[in-house]
Amino acid sequence: MKASSNKFMKGALLLSLSVFFGVAVTVNGADSATAAKGKTNAAPAKSEKGAAPVLDPNDPASLIYLDTSGKPAGIGDPNKPASQSYKAGQGWHPQALSAAGLPKDKYGLIDWAKLVRENIVKPKPSLDPNDEEMPPLKMDILIPAKGDFVNDVIYPHEMHTYWLKCEVCHPAIFVPAKGSNNMSMAEITKGNWCGRCHGKVAFPLTDCNKCHSSPKKAASK
Amino acid sequence: MKKWQVLALALLMAVPATGFAQIGKLKLDSKVDSMHKAGVGPVIFPHDSHEKLYKCNDCHPKIFKEKRGESGISMKLNMDGKFCGSPNCHNSPKAFPLFECTKCHTNVGAAK
Ligand code: HEC
Ligand code: HEC
Ligand code: HEC
Repeated sequence: MKASSNKFMKGALLLSLSVFFGVAVTVNGADSATAAKGKTNAAPAKSEKGAAPVLDPNDPASLIYLDTSGKPAGIGDPNKPASQSYKAGQGWHPQALSAAGLPKDKYGLIDWAKLVRENIVKPKPSLDPNDEEMPPLKMDILIPAKGDFVNDVIYPHEMHTYWLKCEVCHPAIFVPAKGSNNMSMAEITKGNWCGRCHGKVAFPLTDCNKCHSSPKKAASK
Repeated sequence: MKKWQVLALALLMAVPATGFAQIGKLKLDSKVDSMHKAGVGPVIFPHDSHEKLYKCNDCHPKIFKEKRGESGISMKLNMDGKFCGSPNCHNSPKAFPLFECTKCHTNVGAAK
Protein backbone atom coordinates (compact mmCIF):
# COMPACT_ATOMS: atom_id res chain seq x y z
CA MET A 1 0.00 0.00 0.00
CA LYS A 2 2.64 2.47 1.09
CA ALA A 3 5.16 1.25 -1.46
CA SER A 4 2.71 1.41 -4.31
CA SER A 5 1.52 4.90 -3.44
CA ASN A 6 5.17 5.91 -3.23
CA LYS A 7 5.77 4.54 -6.68
CA PHE A 8 2.76 6.40 -7.90
CA MET A 9 4.07 9.63 -6.39
CA LYS A 10 7.41 9.15 -8.06
CA GLY A 11 5.74 8.45 -11.35
CA ALA A 12 3.59 11.53 -10.98
CA LEU A 13 6.61 13.63 -10.10
CA LEU A 14 8.53 12.38 -13.11
CA LEU A 15 5.60 12.98 -15.37
CA SER A 16 5.03 16.52 -14.17
CA LEU A 17 8.73 17.19 -14.43
CA SER A 18 8.87 15.79 -17.92
CA VAL A 19 6.14 18.20 -18.97
CA PHE A 20 8.18 20.99 -17.42
CA PHE A 21 11.29 19.73 -19.13
CA GLY A 22 9.53 19.52 -22.45
CA VAL A 23 8.64 23.19 -22.15
CA ALA A 24 12.21 24.08 -21.28
CA VAL A 25 13.42 22.23 -24.36
CA THR A 26 11.10 24.12 -26.64
CA VAL A 27 12.27 27.41 -25.18
CA ASN A 28 15.99 26.75 -25.10
CA GLY A 29 16.63 24.28 -27.85
CA ALA A 30 18.12 25.89 -30.92
CA ASP A 31 17.59 22.92 -33.17
CA SER A 32 14.73 21.29 -31.37
CA ALA A 33 11.61 23.28 -32.15
CA THR A 34 10.41 20.53 -34.44
CA ALA A 35 11.94 17.72 -32.44
CA ALA A 36 10.15 18.83 -29.29
CA LYS A 37 6.85 18.97 -31.12
CA GLY A 38 7.35 15.36 -32.08
CA LYS A 39 8.08 14.58 -28.42
CA THR A 40 4.61 15.37 -27.18
CA ASN A 41 3.27 12.29 -28.94
CA ALA A 42 4.74 9.69 -26.62
CA ALA A 43 7.22 6.97 -27.56
CA PRO A 44 9.57 8.70 -29.94
CA ALA A 45 12.02 6.67 -31.96
CA LYS A 46 15.58 6.13 -30.77
CA SER A 47 17.16 9.43 -29.85
CA GLU A 48 19.08 10.85 -32.75
CA LYS A 49 21.93 13.23 -32.34
CA GLY A 50 20.76 16.34 -30.50
CA ALA A 51 17.23 15.08 -29.86
CA ALA A 52 15.89 15.03 -26.31
CA PRO A 53 16.41 11.61 -24.69
CA VAL A 54 13.54 9.24 -24.02
CA LEU A 55 11.98 9.60 -20.59
CA ASP A 56 10.79 6.50 -18.87
CA PRO A 57 9.40 6.93 -15.34
CA ASN A 58 10.61 3.47 -14.34
CA ASP A 59 14.15 4.03 -15.47
CA PRO A 60 16.45 5.73 -12.95
CA ALA A 61 18.48 7.10 -15.84
CA SER A 62 15.44 9.21 -16.71
CA LEU A 63 15.62 11.17 -13.46
CA ILE A 64 15.51 14.87 -13.97
CA TYR A 65 17.83 16.97 -11.91
CA LEU A 66 16.94 20.52 -11.10
CA ASP A 67 19.38 23.27 -10.32
CA THR A 68 19.18 25.37 -7.15
CA SER A 69 16.72 27.75 -8.77
CA GLY A 70 14.42 24.84 -9.59
CA LYS A 71 15.17 24.77 -13.31
CA PRO A 72 15.68 21.42 -15.02
CA ALA A 73 19.38 20.91 -15.28
CA GLY A 74 19.89 17.52 -16.81
CA ILE A 75 18.77 13.95 -16.70
CA GLY A 76 20.28 10.61 -15.94
CA ASP A 77 23.80 10.81 -14.68
CA PRO A 78 23.91 13.25 -11.75
CA ASN A 79 27.68 13.43 -12.11
CA LYS A 80 27.35 15.32 -15.34
CA PRO A 81 24.97 18.11 -14.57
CA ALA A 82 24.00 20.15 -17.57
CA SER A 83 23.35 23.83 -17.96
CA GLN A 84 22.95 26.14 -15.00
CA SER A 85 23.52 23.71 -12.17
CA TYR A 86 27.04 23.27 -13.45
CA LYS A 87 27.66 26.95 -12.99
CA ALA A 88 25.77 27.13 -9.72
CA GLY A 89 27.84 24.23 -8.42
CA GLN A 90 25.70 21.14 -7.92
CA GLY A 91 22.27 21.88 -6.73
CA TRP A 92 19.97 19.04 -7.35
CA HIS A 93 16.41 18.55 -6.49
CA PRO A 94 16.03 16.97 -3.04
CA GLN A 95 13.55 14.51 -4.48
CA ALA A 96 16.11 13.40 -7.02
CA LEU A 97 18.10 12.02 -4.09
CA SER A 98 15.25 10.00 -2.66
CA ALA A 99 14.25 8.78 -6.10
CA ALA A 100 17.78 7.66 -6.94
CA GLY A 101 17.23 4.28 -5.28
CA LEU A 102 19.94 4.61 -2.66
CA PRO A 103 19.85 1.90 0.04
CA LYS A 104 17.89 2.84 3.14
CA ASP A 105 18.11 1.62 6.71
CA LYS A 106 15.05 0.49 8.64
CA TYR A 107 14.23 4.09 9.51
CA GLY A 108 14.13 5.15 5.87
CA LEU A 109 17.38 7.09 6.21
CA ILE A 110 20.07 6.65 3.60
CA ASP A 111 22.43 3.87 4.67
CA TRP A 112 25.77 5.48 3.93
CA ALA A 113 27.74 2.52 5.25
CA LYS A 114 25.99 0.15 2.87
CA LEU A 115 26.66 2.59 0.06
CA VAL A 116 30.36 2.25 0.78
CA ARG A 117 30.31 -1.52 1.20
CA GLU A 118 28.52 -1.97 -2.11
CA ASN A 119 30.71 0.55 -3.92
CA ILE A 120 27.78 2.74 -4.92
CA VAL A 121 29.62 6.00 -4.33
CA LYS A 122 33.15 7.09 -5.17
CA PRO A 123 33.75 10.37 -3.38
CA LYS A 124 36.83 12.41 -4.15
CA PRO A 125 39.44 12.11 -1.38
CA SER A 126 39.78 15.85 -1.10
CA LEU A 127 38.96 19.13 -2.80
CA ASP A 128 42.68 19.82 -2.79
CA PRO A 129 44.11 17.96 -5.81
CA ASN A 130 47.48 17.64 -4.06
CA ASP A 131 46.01 15.78 -1.09
CA GLU A 132 46.63 12.08 -1.13
CA GLU A 133 43.96 9.55 -0.34
CA MET A 134 44.66 7.61 2.82
CA PRO A 135 43.33 4.07 2.73
CA PRO A 136 40.82 3.31 5.49
CA LEU A 137 42.31 1.90 8.67
CA LYS A 138 41.18 -1.67 9.21
CA MET A 139 41.02 -1.81 12.97
CA ASP A 140 38.01 -2.82 15.01
CA ILE A 141 38.03 -1.87 18.67
CA LEU A 142 35.98 -3.72 21.22
CA ILE A 143 34.48 -1.35 23.75
CA PRO A 144 33.08 -3.39 26.62
CA ALA A 145 29.76 -1.99 27.75
CA LYS A 146 29.30 -1.65 31.48
CA GLY A 147 26.55 -3.81 32.86
CA ASP A 148 25.86 -7.49 32.31
CA PHE A 149 22.79 -7.33 30.13
CA VAL A 150 23.90 -5.38 27.10
CA ASN A 151 26.05 -6.43 24.16
CA ASP A 152 29.53 -4.98 23.88
CA VAL A 153 30.28 -2.35 21.28
CA ILE A 154 32.49 -2.87 18.26
CA TYR A 155 33.91 0.37 16.96
CA PRO A 156 35.00 -0.03 13.31
CA HIS A 157 37.83 2.29 12.27
CA GLU A 158 37.40 1.23 8.69
CA MET A 159 33.98 2.76 8.03
CA HIS A 160 34.92 5.92 9.91
CA THR A 161 38.29 6.53 8.29
CA TYR A 162 36.66 6.06 4.90
CA TRP A 163 34.82 9.32 5.58
CA LEU A 164 36.90 11.02 8.25
CA LYS A 165 40.50 11.91 9.02
CA CYS A 166 42.14 10.69 12.20
CA GLU A 167 42.30 14.26 13.49
CA VAL A 168 38.52 14.55 13.50
CA CYS A 169 38.44 12.20 16.49
CA HIS A 170 41.96 12.00 17.88
CA PRO A 171 42.71 13.39 20.34
CA ALA A 172 39.84 15.87 20.71
CA ILE A 173 36.98 13.37 21.04
CA PHE A 174 38.78 10.12 21.86
CA VAL A 175 42.19 9.50 23.38
CA PRO A 176 43.70 7.02 20.93
CA ALA A 177 44.28 4.26 23.43
CA LYS A 178 41.94 1.40 24.01
CA GLY A 179 39.91 1.68 27.20
CA SER A 180 41.09 5.12 28.21
CA ASN A 181 37.89 6.93 27.34
CA ASN A 182 35.33 6.72 30.09
CA MET A 183 32.22 6.76 27.96
CA SER A 184 28.69 6.07 29.05
CA MET A 185 25.47 5.69 27.16
CA ALA A 186 23.90 8.53 29.11
CA GLU A 187 26.67 10.87 27.97
CA ILE A 188 26.45 9.58 24.41
CA THR A 189 22.76 10.46 24.29
CA LYS A 190 23.64 13.96 25.46
CA GLY A 191 25.82 14.38 22.38
CA ASN A 192 29.24 13.38 23.69
CA TRP A 193 31.56 10.65 22.42
CA CYS A 194 29.87 8.68 19.63
CA GLY A 195 26.87 10.98 20.07
CA ARG A 196 28.86 13.83 18.56
CA CYS A 197 27.93 12.37 15.20
CA HIS A 198 25.47 9.52 15.67
CA GLY A 199 21.97 10.85 15.76
CA LYS A 200 23.15 13.95 13.89
CA VAL A 201 25.14 13.15 10.75
CA ALA A 202 25.52 9.39 11.11
CA PHE A 203 22.97 6.66 11.79
CA PRO A 204 20.72 7.38 14.79
CA LEU A 205 21.18 6.12 18.34
CA THR A 206 17.87 4.24 18.16
CA ASP A 207 19.68 1.66 16.04
CA CYS A 208 21.24 0.16 19.18
CA ASN A 209 22.51 -3.08 17.74
CA LYS A 210 24.57 -1.52 14.99
CA CYS A 211 26.98 -0.48 17.74
CA HIS A 212 26.13 -3.11 20.35
CA SER A 213 27.06 -5.94 18.04
CA SER A 214 29.30 -8.19 20.10
CA PRO A 215 27.36 -10.58 22.33
CA LYS A 216 28.40 -10.82 25.92
CA LYS A 217 27.97 -14.13 27.70
CA ALA A 218 25.56 -12.82 30.30
CA ALA A 219 23.70 -10.86 27.67
CA SER A 220 22.40 -14.00 26.03
CA LYS A 221 20.44 -14.85 29.17
CA MET B 1 -28.98 10.10 51.78
CA LYS B 2 -29.12 6.34 52.20
CA LYS B 3 -29.35 5.78 48.49
CA TRP B 4 -26.26 7.90 47.93
CA GLN B 5 -24.28 5.86 50.46
CA VAL B 6 -25.22 2.59 48.84
CA LEU B 7 -24.11 3.91 45.51
CA ALA B 8 -20.77 4.99 46.92
CA LEU B 9 -20.27 1.57 48.50
CA ALA B 10 -21.07 -0.17 45.24
CA LEU B 11 -18.55 2.04 43.46
CA LEU B 12 -15.88 1.30 46.05
CA MET B 13 -16.37 -2.42 45.62
CA ALA B 14 -16.32 -2.13 41.86
CA VAL B 15 -12.70 -1.03 41.92
CA PRO B 16 -11.14 -4.30 43.13
CA ALA B 17 -13.61 -6.14 40.94
CA THR B 18 -12.03 -4.72 37.80
CA GLY B 19 -8.95 -6.68 38.78
CA PHE B 20 -5.57 -5.35 37.77
CA ALA B 21 -6.36 -1.70 37.42
CA GLN B 22 -4.77 0.88 39.73
CA ILE B 23 -1.40 -0.75 40.19
CA GLY B 24 0.42 2.53 40.31
CA LYS B 25 4.17 2.61 39.88
CA LEU B 26 6.33 -0.50 39.89
CA LYS B 27 9.98 -0.57 40.86
CA LEU B 28 11.89 -2.98 38.61
CA ASP B 29 15.16 -3.87 40.29
CA SER B 30 15.82 -7.59 39.75
CA LYS B 31 19.02 -6.73 37.84
CA VAL B 32 20.05 -3.91 40.09
CA ASP B 33 23.68 -5.06 40.43
CA SER B 34 24.18 -4.86 36.70
CA MET B 35 22.39 -1.53 36.63
CA HIS B 36 24.80 -0.14 39.21
CA LYS B 37 27.75 -1.29 37.11
CA ALA B 38 26.25 0.62 34.20
CA GLY B 39 25.85 3.71 36.35
CA VAL B 40 22.07 3.75 36.57
CA GLY B 41 19.53 2.96 39.26
CA PRO B 42 16.35 0.81 39.22
CA VAL B 43 13.56 1.42 36.76
CA ILE B 44 10.29 2.93 37.86
CA PHE B 45 7.57 1.64 35.57
CA PRO B 46 4.44 3.80 35.64
CA HIS B 47 1.79 1.11 35.31
CA ASP B 48 -0.88 3.74 35.91
CA SER B 49 -0.06 5.89 32.92
CA HIS B 50 0.11 2.84 30.65
CA GLU B 51 -3.31 1.73 31.94
CA LYS B 52 -4.77 4.93 30.61
CA LEU B 53 -3.43 4.27 27.14
CA TYR B 54 -3.83 0.52 26.71
CA LYS B 55 -6.02 -2.42 27.61
CA CYS B 56 -4.56 -5.11 29.91
CA ASN B 57 -4.43 -7.67 27.14
CA ASP B 58 -2.41 -5.38 24.90
CA CYS B 59 0.52 -6.34 27.16
CA HIS B 60 -0.54 -9.37 29.21
CA PRO B 61 0.38 -12.10 28.74
CA LYS B 62 1.86 -11.57 25.27
CA ILE B 63 4.62 -9.13 26.19
CA PHE B 64 4.82 -9.31 29.99
CA LYS B 65 3.88 -12.06 32.44
CA GLU B 66 1.49 -10.95 35.12
CA LYS B 67 3.94 -11.50 37.92
CA ARG B 68 6.70 -9.21 38.91
CA GLY B 69 10.23 -10.36 38.03
CA GLU B 70 8.99 -13.30 35.97
CA SER B 71 9.25 -11.91 32.47
CA GLY B 72 13.03 -11.70 32.35
CA ILE B 73 13.22 -8.17 31.01
CA SER B 74 16.72 -6.98 30.20
CA MET B 75 18.19 -4.06 28.31
CA LYS B 76 19.63 -6.41 25.74
CA LEU B 77 16.20 -7.92 25.04
CA ASN B 78 14.62 -4.47 24.89
CA MET B 79 17.22 -3.58 22.28
CA ASP B 80 16.35 -6.74 20.38
CA GLY B 81 12.74 -5.64 20.08
CA LYS B 82 11.23 -7.45 23.04
CA PHE B 83 9.44 -6.16 26.17
CA CYS B 84 9.64 -2.35 26.44
CA GLY B 85 11.32 -2.30 23.03
CA SER B 86 8.49 -4.14 21.29
CA PRO B 87 7.94 -2.91 17.76
CA ASN B 88 4.90 -0.77 18.61
CA CYS B 89 6.32 0.58 21.84
CA HIS B 90 9.66 2.17 22.74
CA ASN B 91 11.13 1.16 19.42
CA SER B 92 8.68 3.10 17.32
CA PRO B 93 7.61 6.69 16.78
CA LYS B 94 4.68 6.06 19.14
CA ALA B 95 6.78 6.40 22.30
CA PHE B 96 10.09 7.87 23.38
CA PRO B 97 13.12 5.87 22.20
CA LEU B 98 15.16 3.43 24.28
CA PHE B 99 18.17 5.67 24.53
CA GLU B 100 16.44 8.17 26.79
CA CYS B 101 17.89 6.44 29.84
CA THR B 102 16.59 8.97 32.34
CA LYS B 103 12.93 8.45 31.45
CA CYS B 104 12.96 4.95 32.98
CA HIS B 105 16.06 4.65 35.16
CA THR B 106 16.58 6.53 38.37
CA ASN B 107 19.97 7.91 39.37
CA VAL B 108 21.40 7.99 35.87
CA GLY B 109 25.07 8.91 35.94
CA ALA B 110 25.34 8.57 39.71
CA ALA B 111 27.86 5.75 40.09
CA LYS B 112 30.74 5.38 37.66
C1 HEC C 1 26.86 4.99 18.12
C2 HEC C 1 27.01 3.77 18.85
C3 HEC C 1 25.97 3.38 19.90
C4 HEC C 1 24.62 3.22 19.73
C5 HEC C 1 23.81 3.44 18.46
C6 HEC C 1 24.09 2.78 20.99
N1 HEC C 1 25.09 2.68 21.91
FE1 HEC C 1 24.88 2.06 23.85
N2 HEC C 1 26.89 2.28 24.13
C7 HEC C 1 27.81 2.71 23.17
C8 HEC C 1 29.12 2.71 23.72
C9 HEC C 1 30.41 3.11 23.01
C10 HEC C 1 28.99 2.24 25.06
C11 HEC C 1 30.14 1.94 26.02
C12 HEC C 1 30.19 2.78 27.19
C13 HEC C 1 30.80 1.98 28.31
O1 HEC C 1 30.08 1.18 28.93
O2 HEC C 1 31.99 2.16 28.54
C14 HEC C 1 27.58 1.98 25.29
C15 HEC C 1 27.05 1.51 26.49
C16 HEC C 1 25.71 1.21 26.68
C17 HEC C 1 25.17 0.66 27.90
C18 HEC C 1 25.96 0.30 29.14
C19 HEC C 1 25.88 1.32 30.19
C20 HEC C 1 26.67 2.54 29.95
O3 HEC C 1 26.10 3.64 30.06
O4 HEC C 1 27.85 2.46 29.62
C21 HEC C 1 23.83 0.52 27.71
C22 HEC C 1 22.80 -0.01 28.70
C23 HEC C 1 23.53 0.96 26.37
N3 HEC C 1 24.70 1.37 25.77
C24 HEC C 1 22.28 0.97 25.81
C25 HEC C 1 22.01 1.37 24.52
C26 HEC C 1 20.68 1.38 23.93
C27 HEC C 1 19.42 0.96 24.66
C28 HEC C 1 20.82 1.83 22.65
C29 HEC C 1 19.73 2.04 21.60
C30 HEC C 1 18.63 2.85 21.98
C31 HEC C 1 22.24 2.08 22.44
N4 HEC C 1 22.91 1.80 23.57
C32 HEC C 1 22.75 2.53 21.23
C33 HEC C 1 27.52 3.05 21.86
C34 HEC C 1 26.26 3.02 21.28
C1 HEC D 1 35.19 8.50 14.34
C2 HEC D 1 36.25 8.65 15.25
C3 HEC D 1 37.62 8.06 14.97
C4 HEC D 1 38.44 8.28 13.88
C5 HEC D 1 38.16 9.12 12.64
C6 HEC D 1 39.65 7.57 14.14
N1 HEC D 1 39.56 6.91 15.34
FE1 HEC D 1 41.05 5.85 16.25
N2 HEC D 1 39.80 5.41 17.81
C7 HEC D 1 38.49 5.83 17.93
C8 HEC D 1 37.88 5.20 19.09
C9 HEC D 1 36.43 5.38 19.55
C10 HEC D 1 38.89 4.41 19.69
C11 HEC D 1 38.75 3.54 20.95
C12 HEC D 1 39.06 4.29 22.19
C13 HEC D 1 38.72 3.51 23.42
O1 HEC D 1 38.70 2.27 23.37
O2 HEC D 1 38.50 4.14 24.45
C14 HEC D 1 40.09 4.57 18.87
C15 HEC D 1 41.30 3.98 19.15
C16 HEC D 1 42.44 4.16 18.39
C17 HEC D 1 43.74 3.64 18.73
C18 HEC D 1 44.09 2.83 19.97
C19 HEC D 1 44.03 1.36 19.69
C20 HEC D 1 44.41 0.52 20.87
O3 HEC D 1 44.38 -0.71 20.69
O4 HEC D 1 44.71 1.06 21.95
C21 HEC D 1 44.60 4.01 17.73
C22 HEC D 1 46.08 3.70 17.63
C23 HEC D 1 43.84 4.78 16.76
N3 HEC D 1 42.54 4.86 17.19
C24 HEC D 1 44.35 5.31 15.58
C25 HEC D 1 43.61 5.97 14.63
C26 HEC D 1 44.14 6.39 13.34
C27 HEC D 1 45.58 6.18 12.85
C28 HEC D 1 43.12 7.01 12.68
C29 HEC D 1 43.10 7.59 11.27
C30 HEC D 1 43.47 6.69 10.20
C31 HEC D 1 41.97 6.97 13.57
N4 HEC D 1 42.30 6.32 14.74
C32 HEC D 1 40.73 7.54 13.25
C33 HEC D 1 37.83 6.71 17.08
C34 HEC D 1 38.34 7.19 15.88
C1 HEC E 1 33.15 12.19 13.91
C2 HEC E 1 31.88 11.55 13.74
C3 HEC E 1 31.65 10.16 14.33
C4 HEC E 1 31.93 9.70 15.60
C5 HEC E 1 32.50 10.48 16.76
C6 HEC E 1 31.51 8.33 15.64
N1 HEC E 1 31.01 7.95 14.42
FE1 HEC E 1 30.36 6.08 13.90
N2 HEC E 1 30.05 6.73 12.02
C7 HEC E 1 30.23 8.03 11.55
C8 HEC E 1 29.90 8.08 10.14
C9 HEC E 1 29.95 9.34 9.27
C10 HEC E 1 29.56 6.78 9.75
C11 HEC E 1 29.16 6.29 8.36
C12 HEC E 1 27.77 6.70 8.02
C13 HEC E 1 26.69 5.91 8.71
O1 HEC E 1 26.82 4.68 8.87
O2 HEC E 1 25.69 6.54 9.14
C14 HEC E 1 29.67 5.95 10.95
C15 HEC E 1 29.42 4.58 10.96
C16 HEC E 1 29.50 3.79 12.10
C17 HEC E 1 29.32 2.36 12.12
C18 HEC E 1 29.16 1.51 10.89
C19 HEC E 1 27.80 1.05 10.59
C20 HEC E 1 27.85 0.05 9.46
O3 HEC E 1 26.76 -0.26 9.01
O4 HEC E 1 28.95 -0.41 9.06
C21 HEC E 1 29.42 1.95 13.43
C22 HEC E 1 29.27 0.54 13.97
C23 HEC E 1 29.71 3.12 14.22
N3 HEC E 1 29.75 4.20 13.39
C24 HEC E 1 29.93 3.11 15.58
C25 HEC E 1 30.44 4.19 16.29
C26 HEC E 1 30.80 4.14 17.69
C27 HEC E 1 30.65 2.92 18.59
C28 HEC E 1 31.28 5.36 18.01
C29 HEC E 1 31.81 5.82 19.36
C30 HEC E 1 32.85 5.04 19.96
C31 HEC E 1 31.22 6.19 16.83
N4 HEC E 1 30.71 5.44 15.79
C32 HEC E 1 31.63 7.51 16.75
C33 HEC E 1 30.63 9.10 12.29
C34 HEC E 1 31.06 9.05 13.60
